[in-house]
Amino acid sequence: MQIIKNICNYRELLKSNVKKDIRGRYKGSFLGVLWSFINPLLQVVVYWIVFPYLFRGAGIDNYLVYLITGIIPWNFFLVVITGGTTAIKGNAGIIKKVYFPREILLISQVLSGLVNFLISCVIILIFCIGTGEGVSIYLATLPLLALIQAILNLGLIFILGAINVYVQDIEHIVGFVLQMGFYATPVIYSLNMLPTSSLLYKLISLNPMTIIINAYRDAFLYQCWPNFLSLFGVLVFSLLVLVIGYFIFRKLEKGFAEVL
Amino acid sequence: MNKENAIEVRNMSKHFKVDYDKAHTLKEKLLFWNRGNTEVHEVLKDINLDIKKGETVALIGTNGSGKSTLLKLMTKIIFPNKGSIKTDGKLTSLLELGAGFHPDFTGRENIYFNASIFGLTRKQIEGRIKDIIEFSELGEFIDNPIRTYSSGMYMRLAFSVAINVDADILLIDEILAVGDQHFQEKCYAKLEELRDSGKTIVIVTHSLGVVKELCHRAIWIYKGEFKLDGDPTYVIGEYLKQVALDHKEQRIKNLQEGKQKEKGITFIDMPKDFASVKKSNHSMLCRGWAITDSSSASFKLVLDDTELSKIKRVCRKDVYDVYYEDFAGFMDENSIGWEYELPLEQLECGKHKLFARYILPNNEILEEKEVTFELTE
Repeated sequence: MQIIKNICNYRELLKSNVKKDIRGRYKGSFLGVLWSFINPLLQVVVYWIVFPYLFRGAGIDNYLVYLITGIIPWNFFLVVITGGTTAIKGNAGIIKKVYFPREILLISQVLSGLVNFLISCVIILIFCIGTGEGVSIYLATLPLLALIQAILNLGLIFILGAINVYVQDIEHIVGFVLQMGFYATPVIYSLNMLPTSSLLYKLISLNPMTIIINAYRDAFLYQCWPNFLSLFGVLVFSLLVLVIGYFIFRKLEKGFAEVL
Repeated sequence: MNKENAIEVRNMSKHFKVDYDKAHTLKEKLLFWNRGNTEVHEVLKDINLDIKKGETVALIGTNGSGKSTLLKLMTKIIFPNKGSIKTDGKLTSLLELGAGFHPDFTGRENIYFNASIFGLTRKQIEGRIKDIIEFSELGEFIDNPIRTYSSGMYMRLAFSVAINVDADILLIDEILAVGDQHFQEKCYAKLEELRDSGKTIVIVTHSLGVVKELCHRAIWIYKGEFKLDGDPTYVIGEYLKQVALDHKEQRIKNLQEGKQKEKGITFIDMPKDFASVKKSNHSMLCRGWAITDSSSASFKLVLDDTELSKIKRVCRKDVYDVYYEDFAGFMDENSIGWEYELPLEQLECGKHKLFARYILPNNEILEEKEVTFELTE
């Protein structure tokens, strides 16, 4: 409970950190904050052009929207994990000089990612409407999905951010694992392309990000209710990661100022 | 914890591990896994301390004595290895100015960033922002990005935020040397105001004058140990004695080992260089001062080629104050100055030279200052 009280006291720091994260990243460039939306769009364009040539006849309906509903949530995950892993090391200056609840640095990473993601959802909606898919009541699951993903992200960066202070190889490992994770999640391809009996299929369908991204697609593209049972499983898993992550973080936190 | 105390330190020790030739990479770790040469460096040893609410306390001590570490421990940036530190009340530490500043944002936005790191809410910041801007004297520049600020402006803004943070306990680490004389005076005035409004202030500083003026109490940390605690003037006096002693020992050691050369400074206040003096004055007062850390050098006053004798040594408090650190332990306040009444009758008219010298036993001149003056009818 102490943590919640602490964060409440420092809510302005949280807010200004999120603001700095969102606006500060692209400050000085002409397009400013727009870059955080242009980037995933450009990525979508690349896959949209290239992918059909690689998997000719793979046949995913409305591949453009399929891509966008995969890439934008994946980017949320990617940006938070990469940012969160280095967040504590990158703020060594203030950690060594000022007391504040260190969790704030990581929570603000998740929150700024979340804000970015929610705004990007507008782009998804524009594409949904533009390609004739339209919108539906099933979008109501969106806040729940974003929340589950945010919990998962937070738990992971509690672990990665804290360990990265001591073992700086983590950030390089994370870079690689994320790249692998991109292909271990059906972002640009569909799980249906794999034979159901294969090991790969089983592994990928166990990936929590697979379940989350599929649920996003259910909400935006397929307009049906997601598989609540597996979603609940992901939620429990995420909460578990969060609790373990926070425990590790608390253990390692005391040494931050000395090690950095 | 006692209700009257703002900070309680009990049997607290802190050590840092210092690694010599630390294995930095995996390869080194695998090859030399047991060769790591770790030394434990004891920074603070068994400190017990109470700071009462409303007190203004200075921590003094030489560099590396552990006072900044103690301040960091109080802030809860680092944690003790043994014992405990408890604090009561909202605590703000000004160990660094401008924490969280982002160069691309305006001064006004950065006030919000910086103040929020100190744990202020938006409402509190808004209530204070006028005072902060006024205190910083930045005027219309407040709405420019701070990358366009001069370093002075940057520091002024940072200090203004820091000093206007409303905390019960304020920890300050040697950051008051900001800006010009005028701004510094303002800072001290603000600190006095905070002190008088009943805040608890712990300050680490080397400006002993400030300690005497500002603080109720001074705590002297000597080589990681709690040495003395009490009235600032007394503690500073004892501290300076110790500094002088240590300095002298170190200096003598260095001189013996030939690491440092002996040095001396001489000065002639009167007569001024190229002054012209009327012979009808009968006599002329020559004045100056001389200090040295050499035990064998002797002071001589020489007019042209003749050595003058019976030079009077006088007290020069002003010189002592300036050089008490550089020549600590080698000066006697009461015999720094010299005076000589030079009779003019026997002197010929024309140019004369007056030398103030330190001469070593082997007749080598350690230090010399000369003045030319002209005697006229």
